[in-house]
Amino acid sequence: MSQVIVIGAGLSGLVAAIKSAEGGQQVTLISKGLGGLQLSQGTIDIHEQGLAGLESPAPHPYAAIGAENVLAGVKYLAKLLGPEFLVGDAKKNVYLPTAVGAIRPTALIPPSMAAGSVRDGAKWLIVGLRRLKDFNASLIAGNLSRLELPGGGSLSARALTIDVVAREGEVDSSALTFARAFDTPDFRQRLVAAIKPELQPGEAVGLPAILGVKQHDFWRELQASLGCEVFEIPLPPPSVPGMRLNEALTAKAKALGVRFVLGSYVSGFTAAGGKLVSVTVATTGAPQEFKADKFIYAPGGFESGALAMDSHYEITEKVFGLPLHGVAPVEELILPDYWDEQPVFKVGVSVDKQMRPLDAAGKPVYANLHAIGGIIGGAIRWKEKSGEGIALGSAWAATEGSENV
Amino acid sequence: MRKLSADVVVVGGGATGSGVVRDCAMRGYKAILVERGDLGHGTSARFHGLLHSGGRYVVADPESGAECARENAILKRIHADAVEATGGFFFQIEGDDESFADKFIEGAKIAKLPYQEITAAELLKREPRCNPKATRVMEVEDGTIDGWQLVWGACRSAEAYGAQILTYHQVTGIDVVGGKVQSVRCLDRKSGEEVVIDTAYVINCSGPWAGQVAALAGCHDVNVVPGRGVMVAMSHRLVNSVVNRLVKPADGDIIVPVHTVCIIGTTDVKVEDPDNLELPRAEVQKMLDAGELMVPGFRESRAVHAWAGARPLIKDDRVDASDTRHMSRGMAILDHETRDGVGGILTIGGGKLTTYRLMAKNITDVMVEKLGDDRPCRTDQEPVPGSENGKNYQVSHRLHDREEDRLEDQIICECELMSRKMFTELLRANPDASFDDLRRQLRLGMGPCQGGFCSLRATGIACAEGGWSADKATAALRLFLKNRWIGLWPILHGDQLRQAALDSWMISGTLNVESLPASEEVVL
Ligand SMILES: Cc1cc2nc3c(=O)[nH]c(=O)nc-3n(C[C@H](O)[C@H](O)[C@H](O)COP(=O)(O)OP(=O)(O)OC[C@H]3O[C@@H](n4cnc5c(N)ncnc54)[C@H](O)[C@@H]3O)c2cc1C
Ligand SMILES: Cc1cc2nc3c(=O)[nH]c(=O)nc-3n(C[C@H](O)[C@H](O)[C@H](O)COP(=O)(O)OP(=O)(O)OC[C@H]3O[C@@H](n4cnc5c(N)ncnc54)[C@H](O)[C@@H]3O)c2cc1C
Repeated sequence: MSQVIVIGAGLSGLVAAIKSAEGGQQVTLISKGLGGLQLSQGTIDIHEQGLAGLESPAPHPYAAIGAENVLAGVKYLAKLLGPEFLVGDAKKNVYLPTAVGAIRPTALIPPSMAAGSVRDGAKWLIVGLRRLKDFNASLIAGNLSRLELPGGGSLSARALTIDVVAREGEVDSSALTFARAFDTPDFRQRLVAAIKPELQPGEAVGLPAILGVKQHDFWRELQASLGCEVFEIPLPPPSVPGMRLNEALTAKAKALGVRFVLGSYVSGFTAAGGKLVSVTVATTGAPQEFKADKFIYAPGGFESGALAMDSHYEITEKVFGLPLHGVAPVEELILPDYWDEQPVFKVGVSVDKQMRPLDAAGKPVYANLHAIGGIIGGAIRWKEKSGEGIALGSAWAATEGSENV
Repeated sequence: MRKLSADVVVVGGGATGSGVVRDCAMRGYKAILVERGDLGHGTSARFHGLLHSGGRYVVADPESGAECARENAILKRIHADAVEATGGFFFQIEGDDESFADKFIEGAKIAKLPYQEITAAELLKREPRCNPKATRVMEVEDGTIDGWQLVWGACRSAEAYGAQILTYHQVTGIDVVGGKVQSVRCLDRKSGEEVVIDTAYVINCSGPWAGQVAALAGCHDVNVVPGRGVMVAMSHRLVNSVVNRLVKPADGDIIVPVHTVCIIGTTDVKVEDPDNLELPRAEVQKMLDAGELMVPGFRESRAVHAWAGARPLIKDDRVDASDTRHMSRGMAILDHETRDGVGGILTIGGGKLTTYRLMAKNITDVMVEKLGDDRPCRTDQEPVPGSENGKNYQVSHRLHDREEDRLEDQIICECELMSRKMFTELLRANPDASFDDLRRQLRLGMGPCQGGFCSLRATGIACAEGGWSADKATAALRLFLKNRWIGLWPILHGDQLRQAALDSWMISGTLNVESLPASEEVVL
């Protein structure tokens, strides 16, 4: 049985680990921390332009990954988790409200957000919680009401702020604290009691994305009790919908026998004959070496520290010192206008069809090293809304096909 | 048009103008201060934060050092809540000119500057991150001063004495009739209304803009030479006392711990336009190198923000350099009656924030004398509102406050421990403020995340509790993010670049702020 090491526990790392384990390989997942999923909006983005975005030319990651691999990766995840976690059509974007009252395109969504897909003439009651500071109903409703919707038309949104206590004596509760409070029927009853009298006929209710972590179908119960559609709106971190995905994927991986080595930073490696032999993890005492036949590197980008710029503006990939694409003098990478696209965030590795990082001559740096997710350069993922699509497409491409097994 | 009248109109709401309006009001004049932006928006928002002990000047100009030492003691008392009495050190590093240390001692004696020579070992015990190659060390009474707290304190005191403070009022004209000032015309930038203030006296405290303001009264060629200096704030207090190099004053030779950060500065480059101050990366690099020398590891520590200010130096041929009252200690007072034949207007330039009170006294003395009055200055005798208990603040003061109210109130800005109540109260008192205006008093968005988390919350609260429309609140959010970037991009690298990526995931990724329709409201 061949050995696979996955480095990084974000969406791409988890999915690559699961898929490799399903393919009968022995997988060890090494990660310093938990991945960006728990900080994310909890939906699966592919591209703001939908299918057209998949055709983005090189150096965009989609050019190397290929549209079919992106769609295959997304479909794989949807099947893996099932409709209790993700619904929708990878080929067709929906538009969901954000916590500032903008709308954003995304592809697959948790069913708890489905009723929030914008449509002309919708009437919404946005419900904020006084003790949850990251979700302000007045701002959200106010902005949503002044938007023109993507297909034309508009919706009307009203704001309601209620004070339902998640934890007695606490006025500054996190989204997670609220989400955990959903496990108690009493909390749910209080929530319904506070909303119901304010609800007008024909309105759907938008709530912050806190409707349960482990059990997360409370939105159905709320719909029944309120007698209207209910949907969640994602918040800035910590992200409850992201946590649900993370927990589900981690559980799947463990069930398939993936070995997790967490809290461990890969700090070195050995190579021979154009192949990686092992990676080294700095632990207290002696550094530990992990050998494998195949290495899948899924460490994220600048946000996770996998790519870093030092005080002389030198950008490096921290573990393998991989060649980077998009490097230029700092004046061209970081621009003075906030609303400009910042090219620095396009810096990353370039990869071949199997997601192997390439050197300047276009040859794989190591025959058995694959890089997936945010480490691949060429896109500003938050702007074009392509983070999950790149992660899943590259995870798929790095693990699919006979040459990869 | 709105009509007002006053005995004296003070132009400029920096440290100097705030000091002058307070001084005038305390002497019983009906005074109005006009400031084109918010209080503490010019140089007084773009300085280094150092309450000088005087040590920096004792070698070249001991009297200037003595002035600082006196004012330092006064400000610690009258602006107790704006000062952190951190103490400071001047230290040499192997290879520095040793004789400078002796000159320092000579100067300190002449200036009667409180100082004490201590061992390098003692320095390293107190400031363990300082360069271990330290040799000679002088301990002095440097401190940290919050320029905004100072300016607001002085203005609140002035208001208590009947003065009026008009922010976002830009002076657009000064009417001179028969060789005398008659009125000041302003534009209320928030409402667009014209405001005319009848007055017989104008004190021009517009810092680097002093030449422009004087010209409005027909007093030309006031030669302000803006000297740009850049400063870089590091996200932690790498030192808890002010540390200075004990050498002839040079670029980047002081690190000042201010609130949760420490700031290195500064440079001095002649520039033309104080409204357009660049933040060149080359100067940022110079600061990082200079910091590394004083505190090894400085370079790769996390820089959070940078800014540039312009020293408002006035070089004027028409003032006799031997006229020490008018041209001393780098502060210049221009009497436009003798200089230009325009009565009822004085201009002040130069100086330091540390000596702002003395500058205000000097120029107000000139006016009082010219008016033939006899009204002595009392600004050194009374603390400003908020400083009555005489207690200087400590870096931990907010932590203490939040421990007290943590069960009753939310923390809106975790980096700077700003509570919801702090924000809503200030917003209620200043319903037209921009988030930057609120920030200057509250430190909203000034910590490591630079607004990543707190700006959305502030926007929501302004909408829900400030009665702002979503449109206006969103415009304010966008402006705030854009303005924060002014001081971010020149220093972005390392952990702050990483933070910028996380912030982008939130602001752009999760929230999609940039997709919101442009606002119909203009936020200043
Ligand atoms: C880089 C640097 C570092 C410094 N560090 C220190 C330090 O550490 N310690 C220290 O003691 N001193 C320091 N100083 C000096 C100190 O900052 C200044 O001396 C002081 O802030 C000047 O204050 P001011 O009120 O004279 O000018 P400003 O603060 O510039 O105020 C002038 C005001 O006039 C307003 N104005 C302009 N035109 C008009 C108009 N037409 N109508 C209405 N208002 C108008 C402007 O908006 C501005 O707010 C430093 C200076 C610089 C440049
Ligand atoms: C003692 C001290 C400590 C500080 N500590 C921190 C810190 O811990 N963290 C942190 O993030 N920042 C810190 N700062 C920097 C601060 O946040 C501001 O960037 C700086 O004071 C610049 O002034 P500003 O507040 O007016 O804001 P700016 O960011 O400069 O901009 C606000 C507005 O001013 C306008 N403007 C810009 N430049 C000028 C100019 N030259 N003249 C007139 N208007 C201009 C802009 O167009 C904008 O409308 C500190 C500053 C000082 C003086």
